[in-house]
Amino acid sequence: MQQQLQQIIAKATKALKPVVELDLLDEIRVQYLGKKGELTLMMRILGKLSNEERPKAGQIINEAKQKVQNLLNDKKVQLEMAVLEKQLTEESVDVTLPGRSITVGGLHPVTRTLRRIEEIFFKAGFDIETGPEIEDDWHNFEALNIPKTHPARAMHDTFYFDESTVLRTHTSGVQIRAMEKKDGPMRIIAPGRVYRHDSDQTHTPMFHQVEGLILEKNASFAQLRTLIIDFLRKFFEDDDLKVRFRPSYFPFTEPSAEVDIATNLFGDGRWIEVLGCGMVHPNVLKNVDVDAEKYTGLAFGLGVERLAMLRYGVTDLRQFFENDLRFLKQFK
Amino acid sequence: MKLSENWLREWINPDWDTQTLAEELSLAGLEVDGIDGVVAEFTNVVVGKVVSVEKHPDANKLNITTVDVGELEPLQIVCGAKNVDAGILVCCAKVGAVLPGNFKIKAAKLCGVDSNGMLCGTTEIGLADNGVDGLYCLPSDAPIGMDIRQYLDLDDKVIDVDLTPNRADCLSVEGIARDISAISGLKVSQPFTNNVEVIKNGECSQLVSVNEPVACPKYLGCMVINFDSSAKTPLWMKRRLERSSVTPKNLIVDVTNYVLIELGQPMHAYDADKLTGNLQVRFAHDREKMITFDGKELKLQKKSLVIADDAGVIALAGIMGGLSTAVSSDTKNIFFECANFNSSVITGRARQYGLHTDSSHRFERGVDSFLPERAMERALDLFTKVAGGKVSKIIAEVSENNLYKPKEIQLRPERITKLLGVVIADKRVEEIFNSLNFTINKNSTGWGMIAPTYRYDMEIEADLIEEIGRVFGYNNLPEIDIEAPLRLPKVTESAQDLYLIKKHLASQGFNEIITYSFVEEGFQYKLMPSISAINLKNPISDDMKSMRTTLFPGLLNTIAYNQNRQQVALKLFEAGLVFINQDDTLDNLVQEPMLSGAMVGNLEVSNWAQKNKMVDFYDLKAQVEAILTISDLIDEVSFVPQNISIFHPGQSAAIIKNGEQIGSLGQLHPALVKDAGVAGKVFMFDLKQSAILAIKVPLAVAISKFPAVQRDLAFIVEQDLPVQKLIDTLQNYPSSILKTIEIFDVYQGDGLEKNKKSIAISFRIQHETRTLQDEEIDNLMLNLINLAEETVFAELKYEYKIGK
Repeated sequence: MQQQLQQIIAKATKALKPVVELDLLDEIRVQYLGKKGELTLMMRILGKLSNEERPKAGQIINEAKQKVQNLLNDKKVQLEMAVLEKQLTEESVDVTLPGRSITVGGLHPVTRTLRRIEEIFFKAGFDIETGPEIEDDWHNFEALNIPKTHPARAMHDTFYFDESTVLRTHTSGVQIRAMEKKDGPMRIIAPGRVYRHDSDQTHTPMFHQVEGLILEKNASFAQLRTLIIDFLRKFFEDDDLKVRFRPSYFPFTEPSAEVDIATNLFGDGRWIEVLGCGMVHPNVLKNVDVDAEKYTGLAFGLGVERLAMLRYGVTDLRQFFENDLRFLKQFK
Repeated sequence: MKLSENWLREWINPDWDTQTLAEELSLAGLEVDGIDGVVAEFTNVVVGKVVSVEKHPDANKLNITTVDVGELEPLQIVCGAKNVDAGILVCCAKVGAVLPGNFKIKAAKLCGVDSNGMLCGTTEIGLADNGVDGLYCLPSDAPIGMDIRQYLDLDDKVIDVDLTPNRADCLSVEGIARDISAISGLKVSQPFTNNVEVIKNGECSQLVSVNEPVACPKYLGCMVINFDSSAKTPLWMKRRLERSSVTPKNLIVDVTNYVLIELGQPMHAYDADKLTGNLQVRFAHDREKMITFDGKELKLQKKSLVIADDAGVIALAGIMGGLSTAVSSDTKNIFFECANFNSSVITGRARQYGLHTDSSHRFERGVDSFLPERAMERALDLFTKVAGGKVSKIIAEVSENNLYKPKEIQLRPERITKLLGVVIADKRVEEIFNSLNFTINKNSTGWGMIAPTYRYDMEIEADLIEEIGRVFGYNNLPEIDIEAPLRLPKVTESAQDLYLIKKHLASQGFNEIITYSFVEEGFQYKLMPSISAINLKNPISDDMKSMRTTLFPGLLNTIAYNQNRQQVALKLFEAGLVFINQDDTLDNLVQEPMLSGAMVGNLEVSNWAQKNKMVDFYDLKAQVEAILTISDLIDEVSFVPQNISIFHPGQSAAIIKNGEQIGSLGQLHPALVKDAGVAGKVFMFDLKQSAILAIKVPLAVAISKFPAVQRDLAFIVEQDLPVQKLIDTLQNYPSSILKTIEIFDVYQGDGLEKNKKSIAISFRIQHETRTLQDEEIDNLMLNLINLAEETVFAELKYEYKIGK
């Protein structure tokens, strides 16, 4: 019997060798292990054996069955591997080809810069206010201590629609609107478009400003300076940024300052003006019924394009409004 | 204001190099805009005297000269200039000299004759062309051998100070010197003493009456006769004027300009022989005429202060003189005017007449009312030193009460600390105001401060505190953080952040643009004739005149701009205000924030995997729908076919929410493509920001645990029936179990009648609390079918099978 089993195993091994299809494998399984399979039939011999011989013989036959089953399993794994291998080969792609295109656009660098400024101040508890771009004389000039005859009006190169209606020349008017609306302490910034009648290499008739106002009981010029330096260092992510304050003049602040930073954009570390600031002029506070003895106001107005230029290395202001995609696409 | 550094250093000479001087000025609030050399670098050029001139034996255009340059032996120099002559003084570049443009002078032989240097014309040493073809001849008193840079003061620098309007007191060399004194601690030293006193005798033959003492509180006049009318402006004076960007004209005018720059006092000189009768300072009569010295005819307004003689207006006070009495090279007798005009009567006048002069610039801002005396003396001194002449007594019409005198301003020490945030010792405060020439009156609450008469900008305590900060140095202030109560911010969930929508559009391939808010009137009108725009009174140019009523012109211009630069697949958007005028009064002007976008060309940049697909209406609509979905509005709006002038009539829709139009979309009307200068089909949308930024705070509903059933139907309808009508009909059916209706196919063509289309719709039906019975589903479907049939005459393509 032993010999017979060995022969069957050898036969099965031989039969399995050339098999390359899974279907054929099943036929072979049936031939040896099916209901009428050669090894299954061998079990019938057991009935003819004595009680002593029977367990031993049963064990031998089962071992043979297991052996054939193992051969089948191994072959199956082998064939399945081959099929997978084939599939993988067929399905392989050139991963170096670019993906099907999804074009991603981008935000305008001015928006990006504005967002950055807004975020810095918003996180420090500043509210974001807006105002109209076509503005009345009161909010753009009068309330800001710039009467009709003031020489500072000439600095502004105003676009106008009639005697008392202009395109706002700065976002400072939003200060007035905010203080008209609400008494007491406040911290606001007001981003937006502003307009000046000026157009050359370094001026565009429209640009963006962010106005800031802090109204508190004990706010000082030293604190304003600290805030501005802090802002500029955070904005440029440069803790060593050199900042200098120069006395200047705005009708709506006193004392007033212009602020320069040292930049290497032009390779020479020159000072570039980035913003103007000061303490809100008592006349302005009076115009909006704020007690100048009780409250002091810290105000600043910064030029967004200027900051964007310095941050992103843009050397020509006019590029911002030409909207050449080759320029815009650099800002994702 | 530009001025010569060396001139300034005559008044005050701190131990600072030019760069430091500029820095210190800037940090004191007198911003230095630039420092320029007056001429290019060159070396080794000296004053030489031509001793002899002989013809070159072998070249008839050349001369052999010997030139005394103050050395033992004169130099032999071959020279080709026509104006070379024995005895003249010239600029001589010696061997070893390097002229502008790195031109090196070497010993040479010219046609066989040794030449040891070069005689120069103006342009050869970098000076402005003086119009002479040949050598630059120097005055006969030029010291032989002196370096030309030293002789012509060419190592001087021009400092350009950009003064703020409050600092009119610094519109002069003396004014700037005063401020340097305050920051450096040095004293100002006036570099001259006037000594015309001796010749001021005789009455002034010209009578002046000031009718308006408030407008003109001080008027000084002086007559100079019998001077040398051929006298020329000295070189040094010309140089300084030129370095202050003043073009020298003639001695008389140059002297008044020199005084203007040096002391800040505007003056005027009349040709005394052209004056008729007495002078009056009065206001102009309405529409009175005057011709300015540069020939412009003005029709004067009543409020204009003028100087007039018996023949009419001869000067616009403090602004500009008239032609009829202007001085010229023939002038024999001069009447000098040196007056103080009240800034309030000058302000705005010059601009009104389209004029802006150095004089009006200063008077508008305020000129020291005690300066005219010094200025007149200085002018007379400068003038008579060059041209001699007989000087009359100075006549003076002065109204003491009307002279500007700064008032006392109270300064409290605690206010200094509060505003500046730093304690400044009383002694230091007094030092600072002493250095600024204030009069200090100590009192119980601090000080009463009286500004010098040239400081028109000192009005309130804060002005004084700024002065302290300025002299103390802003950059010396301590760093102190702001202290404010901690309050949490308002975060309004129902206010959508526009930035997020912008970010979304960017991720969809859109680039954000920012265009000017003013556009070409005609183009905008063509696009949107029904909306009335408002125009600027003073636009930069005609094509930037009209305020935009829509963002479309900017988008279209940007498309054209980029298409011209080979950018063809474009998706752009812009957010900003549009300005809509409801009537002609500006009172009901609407400034509406909008968001607009445009798409043109390929949907995606062409690539290996996908065929080019051109953008169409539904690509655009998908983008709009996505925005509306982000804003949770998609179920509240409808797209209504509407003929909007800018759009193709067959591809144009209004976006309606609660009966109000919140936007529109469509294809640019083919008839406008050419006007817009664009190529291809442009698809555009606009949305009111107010609509898309107001969102609902979500309110969740429990999800049903019971299975949903799907039923599909295909309806056949008239081809021109808007699908939305069918959808609306079905949606209006009152049912709590009908959850969604979705179109999954639209078909026209084979198998259908010519004017029909089939619309396949999928219905999702679900009950919240139990499993649905077949019967109730069938009932619902049959009712929907009936409704569609009755309302829009829809027929079923395939018969509805009960229970399927």
